[in-house]
Amino acid sequence: MTEPVLVVGGGPAGLAAAQALSGVGRKAVLVEKEDRLGGAPILSGYAKLVPTGEWARDAIGGMVGRVEGEAAIDIRTGCTVKEFAGEPGAFTATLSDGATVEAGAAILCTGFTHFDSVNKPEWGFGTFPDVVTTTQVEQMISSERGVRCPSDGRKPKRVAILLCVGSRDRQIGREWCSKICCTVSANIAMEIREELPDCHVYIYYMDIRTFGLYETTYYWRSQEEFKVKYIKARIAEVTSDGERLIVKGEDTLVKRPITIPFDLVVHAIGMDPNVDNLLLSSIFDIELEPHGNIARQSAYGGMGRTSRPGVYVAGAATGPETIDDSIAQANAAAIAALSAAYSTAGKAA
Amino acid sequence: MPIHEQSLIRPENIKTHDKLEIDGIDVSGHWSTFIESRVVTDYNEALEDEIAALPGGEYIHRCWQCGSCTNSCTVNAVNPDFNPRYWIYLIRTGMESELLRDKDIIWQCISCNKCTYACPRDVEPEGVMKATAHWLEKKGHTPKSPSIIFDELFAEQVIARGKIEESSIIRQFFKRTGQPLMQDWLVAMARGLLMKLPVGLMRRMGLAVLFRPRTSGWSKARAALEEYVEECEREQRRALGLGDGKPE
Ligand SMILES: Cc1cc2nc3c(=O)[nH]c(=O)nc-3n(C[C@H](O)[C@H](O)[C@H](O)COP(=O)(O)OP(=O)(O)OC[C@H]3O[C@@H](n4cnc5c(N)ncnc54)[C@H](O)[C@@H]3O)c2cc1C
Ligand code: SF4
Repeated sequence: MTEPVLVVGGGPAGLAAAQALSGVGRKAVLVEKEDRLGGAPILSGYAKLVPTGEWARDAIGGMVGRVEGEAAIDIRTGCTVKEFAGEPGAFTATLSDGATVEAGAAILCTGFTHFDSVNKPEWGFGTFPDVVTTTQVEQMISSERGVRCPSDGRKPKRVAILLCVGSRDRQIGREWCSKICCTVSANIAMEIREELPDCHVYIYYMDIRTFGLYETTYYWRSQEEFKVKYIKARIAEVTSDGERLIVKGEDTLVKRPITIPFDLVVHAIGMDPNVDNLLLSSIFDIELEPHGNIARQSAYGGMGRTSRPGVYVAGAATGPETIDDSIAQANAAAIAALSAAYSTAGKAA
Repeated sequence: MPIHEQSLIRPENIKTHDKLEIDGIDVSGHWSTFIESRVVTDYNEALEDEIAALPGGEYIHRCWQCGSCTNSCTVNAVNPDFNPRYWIYLIRTGMESELLRDKDIIWQCISCNKCTYACPRDVEPEGVMKATAHWLEKKGHTPKSPSIIFDELFAEQVIARGKIEESSIIRQFFKRTGQPLMQDWLVAMARGLLMKLPVGLMRRMGLAVLFRPRTSGWSKARAALEEYVEECEREQRRALGLGDGKPE
């Protein structure tokens, strides 16, 4: 395979795939829908990342810088793939700007879409300005303006973080755990307590899924060092008494109704399948899995293969993923694409 | 609202010792009032399956105790002891004796279905409440509730004649629940009907009372329905371990 590899999506996964390919002397064409690279952490302005605590603009911004400095990576921003035809080793992609790209293989790194909290109206987003999402809090922190109530700019004294907003909910057809939001919420809670030591932070949960090593570094640490309070309750509704937000629910462990005032309510929003997935599925002629993500053919061998030979997938395009796992998957997909090309070339010779 | 914690204390578990000395210290009388802890000694592992075998209880196994049903519940708002989440937990773990303590309020579900639309797992808690109320009746823990009596009358009539005739249902309902026929609201309603309804409709209603119409050619449908109802009854009795599986 001498043709370049087409990488679609310039988030952490796409950046890693392109970097991996150029690292072994292979050309890559990186097609990104938005006008800049970096994916969710950059486009949505995340603050300090789990698990390293590095700022997203440094960690992922650094990846962007390295990719932009690679001569072997042909970057096409503000662009999508319109048509895709051919066979492994000889694909032709037609881009939205009319250009055509010859590619030996394609790696889809098209990521996810943030859940839109307006779809859970009972929790007040879109009705009350002081109900915000984790993404907005990330932006408050990364912009260095600090965590404030949008209504009047005051420093909140009491913050409630509601977990699983847009995840694990049959009522709205979202039957998955978004994997990262428990840990991200614990992280945000600690950052709020660090910035505003007088502010009480409560996390309302059904289960806590700070998986693996995050148990101590996020869950325990947020409780033990930062005194973040965890309440086992799924909130019924968020209303307002005209001054403050009112959070109602049942504290299940004491079997008692709760009606508690807060200054700021944060929705820990989930990761939806990319809204483009149906389109991507028809353009690339690949299957989606039942939740609407791009389906992987195998979890163990031929990492990242889709239902179409020569087309691979990595990162949050396959379902909720962390950044480090997305990067690992992108490297695996790149090596799978290269080894497939190597074995066909070997047979032909 | 009453003090919730008080409801957790059971009179039979309060122990006061007139004379008691612990490590040489006299703690007689009020000082030695203790509340014995409730110890769970056994689980009835069949309980969840029994509820699941009754209509409405099918999805009880999905519950993960988030509390959305209880916190959206119309009845819970006025009576904090009415707690669907808690009962689902008791049923799923098989704590039958705990469940039975609330047997006299479980039927109070008004089927507003707010929980149905709040539940993230589609447990259909309203259905579980219905199934639990039926279970209590079938096991002989509670008498038939008025709503069950009404449902039965309604179904009996539809099965028998393929039609319902409201006035006869109302009359029989009052009879079976031991209520007087002349009730203020009923009289007011009848008077309202007399004044507002078109004559033709009134005549048809009157005739229906006298002649009790049936749907023509109903007998086959009736036989099929009766067979089906009997089959369901048998199934349920078997699932609940009641008698020979023959209908009551
Ligand atoms: C609030 C929040 C905080 C988070 N914090 C962390 C954290 O601290 N640590 C961590 O590990 N993970 C975190 N995550 C998860 C993290 O965002 C993902 O793991 C990561 O973004 C996945 O990278 P990706 O490249 O697969 O997808 P994305 O980041 O979604 O990138 C996909 C890229 O593809 C582009 N694209 C989409 N469709 C098309 C198309 N049709 N054509 C061309 N381009 C397209 C997009 O514009 C985007 O640039 C967080 C998630 C949320 C919601
Ligand atoms: S990671 Fe936590 S908050 Fe996110 S969906 Fe899973 S359980 Fe809910």
